[in-house]
Amino acid sequence: MSIVTVQLGQCGNQIGFEVFDALLSDSHSSQGLCCKRENEAYQASCKERFFSEEENGVPIARAVLVDMEPKVINQTLSKAAQSGRWKYGQHACFCQKQGSGNNWAYGYSVHGPRHEESIMNLIRKEVEKCDSVSGFFIIMSMAGGTGSGIGAFVTQNLQDQYSNSLKMNQIIWPYGTGEVIVQNYNSILTLSHLYRSSDALLVHENDAVHKICAKLMNIKQISFSDINQVLAHQLGSVFQPTYSAESSFHYRRNPLGDLMEHLVPHPEFKMLSIRNVPHMSENSLAYSTFTWAGLLKHLRQMLISNAKMEEGIDWHVRPPLSGPPSLSKMSLNKDLHFNTSIANLVILRGKDVQSADVEGFKDPALYTSWLPVNAFNVWKTQRAFSKYEKSAVLVSNSQFLVKPLDMIVGKAWNMFASKAYIHQYTKFGIEEEDFLDSFTSLEQVVASYCNL
Amino acid sequence: MRRRRVDPAAGARAGALPEAIAALSRSLPSGPRPEIFRRAKFDRPEATSALWQLLFRVLSPLPAGNALASIALEVQARLVKSALCSQGYPRLALAQLPEDGSQGSRELLLALSWLLARGPVPEQMLAQTRVPLGDEMTVCQCEALASLVPPAPHMEAEGPVDVRHVQWLMGKLRFRWRQLVSSQQEQCALLSKLLRTLERESRRLEAVLAWRRAEPVFWQWMDTVLGTCAPEAPAAASQPTFLPWVPECGDGELELVVRELQTLEEELREAVERRRVAWEAKARGCGRGPEWSAARRASRETVEKELGALQRCWEQESGPAPAHGPHRLVRREDGAAGDRDLRAAELIRTLRSQEACLEAVLRQLQGQCRQELARLAGALPGLIWILPPGR
Repeated sequence: MSIVTVQLGQCGNQIGFEVFDALLSDSHSSQGLCCKRENEAYQASCKERFFSEEENGVPIARAVLVDMEPKVINQTLSKAAQSGRWKYGQHACFCQKQGSGNNWAYGYSVHGPRHEESIMNLIRKEVEKCDSVSGFFIIMSMAGGTGSGIGAFVTQNLQDQYSNSLKMNQIIWPYGTGEVIVQNYNSILTLSHLYRSSDALLVHENDAVHKICAKLMNIKQISFSDINQVLAHQLGSVFQPTYSAESSFHYRRNPLGDLMEHLVPHPEFKMLSIRNVPHMSENSLAYSTFTWAGLLKHLRQMLISNAKMEEGIDWHVRPPLSGPPSLSKMSLNKDLHFNTSIANLVILRGKDVQSADVEGFKDPALYTSWLPVNAFNVWKTQRAFSKYEKSAVLVSNSQFLVKPLDMIVGKAWNMFASKAYIHQYTKFGIEEEDFLDSFTSLEQVVASYCNL
Repeated sequence: MRRRRVDPAAGARAGALPEAIAALSRSLPSGPRPEIFRRAKFDRPEATSALWQLLFRVLSPLPAGNALASIALEVQARLVKSALCSQGYPRLALAQLPEDGSQGSRELLLALSWLLARGPVPEQMLAQTRVPLGDEMTVCQCEALASLVPPAPHMEAEGPVDVRHVQWLMGKLRFRWRQLVSSQQEQCALLSKLLRTLERESRRLEAVLAWRRAEPVFWQWMDTVLGTCAPEAPAAASQPTFLPWVPECGDGELELVVRELQTLEEELREAVERRRVAWEAKARGCGRGPEWSAARRASRETVEKELGALQRCWEQESGPAPAHGPHRLVRREDGAAGDRDLRAAELIRTLRSQEACLEAVLRQLQGQCRQELARLAGALPGLIWILPPGR
């Protein structure tokens, strides 16, 4: 079953390009460590999900590109076409000549309704090309004006028009010291709206990815392209084909559905994050060997101690001995050292994957008390991903994002209390009540996650 | 080339010939327009490349696909020549035709009709491009494996029920429901695709039938085509057989190739030996460590389980082994069936009994779920339960 991607704004379009590129390169990689027939099945599954075929065989990404300025879209289209291995559809993009000035309200109340028909038409055409659609990826940033405002609007429309399809929003969490003054307003408005209309919010934090580039990949001058490639690697290792649990002869047909069913069935708990090991530059990769035991141990500790990457893990954090901490409610003021999980999904790819032991993740102490232990799932696939002989990725519904969310809500509230810049939003129909609604719903989310 | 005996009365009415040729062209995959045939009778050059391509399509051992379309005309022509020759095509003139498609359409037309006379070409082409879906099904009569009932659902121990758990389960149900709807939409889309393909195939089938009815007219006409050709030099027994064109290479090069192949074979043999020795050493070295013994124990248990199931299966049925794998639906007039064949009636009976079994299991599981729901409803008195519509 296919996934249709909607790339919104500068952020969404640049990331989307890297994701498709990473997916296709990996599916054509000769270092899959598996036989030819297996490789072909993997390729076919990846292609069916993310690309459509054209007459002369060049795969076309199943994507719709939306931006209010033409520059980034044109760059994205030409980069894809230049690669020669895949491209975007000729008429799959929508852009205007003006920006949105980082104003969420302008994106949501003006651009959205104005261009609703054109954008939804493009999406409909893309959907009709698929034999079956399992759902949508919507890639957007939270803090800018175009991606965030239009993203919220489009997601709402998707919920109305395609209520049976699944929607996963890939959200880029801005740098803590970001350049956009109103980024916190944009963020809380985006998150509160998406919480209502989306099924899952998969969050990528710019700060965390930046550190991965600096510390793990040893990149000196970190560009957006480097960051986006790290993101694409993480997403690829989640959404490339995996075996289904029932039969290890077929690749799973609906990874998006299976993932959502495992992780986000509860309407209050929709925030997901990704952690992956290992991650390093290609040069270092050539000299490294890994064991599953080592990788999984690190991944587990990253989960428990809320580490963003493989370096600087706090090994002192341990799961509580007397059961999960929900018995003694933790207040927001206390530092959340131990990260309680609701549900986790670990995806393992590579050599000897069947021998990998994931018992450490099934420990009930890691999880909240009201969910039985089958809140943990593991998907194992023989075929290696993207030159990594062994790779493990964790998609987690846990308290990872409580602190960042709380911080953003706090900062936004401070600005709101002094009514700074509110007029830019009220000018376009976003009233103070809408802000208050957003604050309320997000504080509810924070409270729910804290009370695990 | 012998002339085919034709009933002169057949197809005497006007218009029968164009119909016959049209039916022929419809019944062949990527058949050329009837006009091409007419032009070929008069050896017009513009008909040549279409006929080369048609002959290539008919004679090529490869299944149709994009790969075929991209082969150059010269290569196609060469392949056609060598294929025809290996089948014993008697006319020399074809072998001497230029391969650029500039002339020789009449020769090609004769070659095509030679092939048509020898064997049921349209039917063979149809069988090649048969739509496999819709008349095939996989059969599994392995009773031992089929009788495995899914494990009973995990019943929660009595205790306080957190409403969040219930919300979680509701969410899972909702996701499953949505996926079901998506799957049904997919099924519809695929069914309509299948219908369109089947329609195309029916049209080809009808064309083949029309061709068979109109065939005599075609052969009458081919007689006239043969008549317009210049008579061939009398075929002598000592005529050299035409070999497929092989690029010029002296004996020396061939020797080199043979030697290279021999060294490669040696190297491969050595590599295999080395690998086998290394693996044996490794396998002997293994067998230590808790991971290995746990894995070995697990695999031994699964093998024993499967072996037990298979043995039970054999003991139960001393008759023919249960069928397994894909089977094709074929209609037979006589009652004869091969030993690997199954009767549809038997299969239907088996499937019905399996269906009954599965329905029983479903009812049992539904009962269990209902009990569980009743228990949860009792445990949370403040909660209102709204059942889905239609139950």
